[in-house]
Amino acid sequence: MTLRKLLAFALSAALLAGCSGGSSGGGGGETPSGGGEASGPAEIPTSDVFKGETNQQTYPISSEKITLSYWYPHGNSIGTLNDFNDSEFFQWMEEKTNIHIDFVVPAVGEEANSFNQLFIADDLPDILYTSPATQKYRDGMDAAIEDGYVVDLRDYLDLMPNYVSWLNSIPTAKKDALTDTGKMYGFWSFWDNMESGYADQGISIRKDFLDKVGEEIPETYEDWERVLTKFKDELGIEAPYYTSKYGIDYGEFMAGYGVAPYFYQVDGTVKYGPMQDEYKEYLTMMHDWYEKGLLDPDFSTRQSTGVAADNDMILNDKIGALIDWGTRMTDAYISRGATNPDFYAVAAKQPKKSASDPDPAFRIVNNNFHDLQSVCILINAKSEHIEEAIRWVDSFYAKDVYLNANYGIDSEEGTVWYAAEDGHRIGDYDFRYSNPDGLDSATVAAKYWAKNPPVRVEAAQIEQMPEDRAASYAVWSTYESKNFIPTTVTMTTDESSEYSQYYTDLEAFVQENNVKFINGQRSLDEYDAYRDQLKSMGIETCIKLQQAALDRYNAR
Amino acid sequence: MSEQAQSVKSYNNKKGFWKKLKLDFKNHWQIYLMAVPVILYFAIFNYAPMVGIIMAFQKYQIRKGIFGSQFVGMTNFMRFFSGPYFWRTLRNTLLISLYGLLLSFPLPIVFALCLNEVRNTRFKKIVQTISYLPYFISVVVVVSILFDFGKSNGILTQLAMKFGWSGGAIIASDKWFRTLYIGSNLWQHLGYNSIIFISALAAIDPTLYEAARIDGANRWQQTLHVTIPGIASTIVVLLILRLGQIMGVGYEKIILMYGPSTYETGDVIASYVYRTGILDGDYSYSTAVNLFNSVVNLIVLWTANTISRKVNETSIW
Repeated sequence: MTLRKLLAFALSAALLAGCSGGSSGGGGGETPSGGGEASGPAEIPTSDVFKGETNQQTYPISSEKITLSYWYPHGNSIGTLNDFNDSEFFQWMEEKTNIHIDFVVPAVGEEANSFNQLFIADDLPDILYTSPATQKYRDGMDAAIEDGYVVDLRDYLDLMPNYVSWLNSIPTAKKDALTDTGKMYGFWSFWDNMESGYADQGISIRKDFLDKVGEEIPETYEDWERVLTKFKDELGIEAPYYTSKYGIDYGEFMAGYGVAPYFYQVDGTVKYGPMQDEYKEYLTMMHDWYEKGLLDPDFSTRQSTGVAADNDMILNDKIGALIDWGTRMTDAYISRGATNPDFYAVAAKQPKKSASDPDPAFRIVNNNFHDLQSVCILINAKSEHIEEAIRWVDSFYAKDVYLNANYGIDSEEGTVWYAAEDGHRIGDYDFRYSNPDGLDSATVAAKYWAKNPPVRVEAAQIEQMPEDRAASYAVWSTYESKNFIPTTVTMTTDESSEYSQYYTDLEAFVQENNVKFINGQRSLDEYDAYRDQLKSMGIETCIKLQQAALDRYNAR
Repeated sequence: MSEQAQSVKSYNNKKGFWKKLKLDFKNHWQIYLMAVPVILYFAIFNYAPMVGIIMAFQKYQIRKGIFGSQFVGMTNFMRFFSGPYFWRTLRNTLLISLYGLLLSFPLPIVFALCLNEVRNTRFKKIVQTISYLPYFISVVVVVSILFDFGKSNGILTQLAMKFGWSGGAIIASDKWFRTLYIGSNLWQHLGYNSIIFISALAAIDPTLYEAARIDGANRWQQTLHVTIPGIASTIVVLLILRLGQIMGVGYEKIILMYGPSTYETGDVIASYVYRTGILDGDYSYSTAVNLFNSVVNLIVLWTANTISRKVNETSIW
């Protein structure tokens, strides 16, 4: 018995391979279609249409009803619906295109893992909605095409006129749409009407607490320390500043030090946060704050990896400030069960070292920059309906479709959305947040919109909000994300595997040491030794590979 | 009867293994039939997947598969042995296992012996039932209880502070990881693990106790000279099996419990394999690491068994 268990355990990884051996053995013999045919950079045709203003697809897409499977990792945005086909928008879409969608929704939290499994089992759905920052083919984007999993879209440019119109309308889009070798990996997603950077997350601080201790919204680190100390001493707040379990966030709070977590670029040069002196200074401050009780004493055991906090802590006034989502500002937590009726959270700017410093330029957020969202939709190269799948996805880039996807379908005018004076749509705040049918806001979103569609309208979320809540977006969006390394940089197959060989270990090591330096398990005197450790673990190789990928991207 | 005696005799005399098997099969085919599902189970789920071990020696690529990927020899192993996590994960695996063995192996035996001395059957039953109830609690729930009790203001941390601890939340401290891991394991499994000893105790011939009493042995002497020798072979076999698991600290509870601040003492080989293999998709490397783990395990098991066979003639094969 025990011996068997032992064997089973010891070989669990091997078992995984047993499965893949069987299936890819069968698929390996077939020559991948599509990928190998075209060569050289694609000639993207020009287009007279601006950003999909007029829909150039013809409908229905299929004369007889077909079903396409769609990998759709939005399990946490389904609200109380059973299936995304219960969504009004997708029903409308099915009627229009004559294509039924079979949604394949991976378990929440298991998205990256199940993405890997799709390739091992060689069982890709027809269409895949992916966030390449976390869901990526291990050997790189080019390899996904070369290995015959994913369609190289440049063979099908004539089927995707709406997407092509977007590529022509945004100056930098072609650069992002193609890999270094000129392949088209998938449909990248765009923002509509993006004027500045868009930020839906940032530093949030309790205004009601500030009023009680007679303080304004803090601006410098000094202000912050004073305010947090008052939160702790005068109000007895358990976690005056709540940080993620790794002790750092996506860069909001350390921006004033002129440094960022993980990789970032300064004018085309790739840097790694923990290797910089400024990063050490930041950790020194955080350690000091931890010792003074200004941070959450239990931060390293919390669930948060970056944004938002443990609900019961927020709801019970245990947190003074944190990184949170824009939808949760002002009194939003009251409807979620906050015990304090005065609950009121406002956005704070990124702190800086001295009031006379210019606003820190950093804003390292991993999902938004300029016109491109880091969402990429892939088409399975072995699908029986490649052409229909491409035309279906392309539809989302046409204005009539993406407006419906962002706001609710046309016939819902007056309920889900209404037309402003100039005719553009605005989502109805009351319908979403105090729904007449008693639906919660997440379910309303799932039922009437498509979650983060390929073309997202920046204003859709913000404009419908009461002014005071919408204000937080303005505060957070004032920063240029010029230090962000674009998601669309690509590494070659060899680079990818060399990089991940080092970086997996490095990332865990850095996260561990961030926490240790902050809570004092490791002395900051050892910081130089720590940097030497990072070097011996291959950080310089990783930086070099990132730099090479970025250089090629800039040269595209 | 005589036919059976005949077959046993010829069974022992026959030279060839296949002939013996054939004869045995002829006489006991029903029993062989019953074994078929088990044999199939092992073949399909435990032996066939071993083909995947090849991956440990390859630079495995999903598209090329097990039979097409590039062969790289011991590269993956070298990467692990020279990597930053080798000593730490090996040390943590062995320490968690050894400390766990030192506590959670003898205590169920002691518990069973104590229970054996209780004469009130009703009380005995109640104690037994209560003691193995925790076994049925999901490990996820157990760990979340630990997190609640081990927070900076949790009851266990408060208790530790009474004894002079000043390092904050014990669940976030690398100094407490093993204690909490093993302690909660013990709490959960003590009662359940004692069942097998209790049944072994029940199998001891009562006349032995009678004889001992006539010879004037008191309760303690009876325990020492009748009870313990009576379950000694059970203890040895279970100990060998436990030794075979010495490298087999499962990843489930570890990944639920550990965090950046407790990696130092909590990161074991299995959790490292989980991170590199399942989360990061580095299949060759994680197979190599796991294979190393299994080989060490096998060596420990084999050594323990051999020693046991030599010393007291009890062994699992």
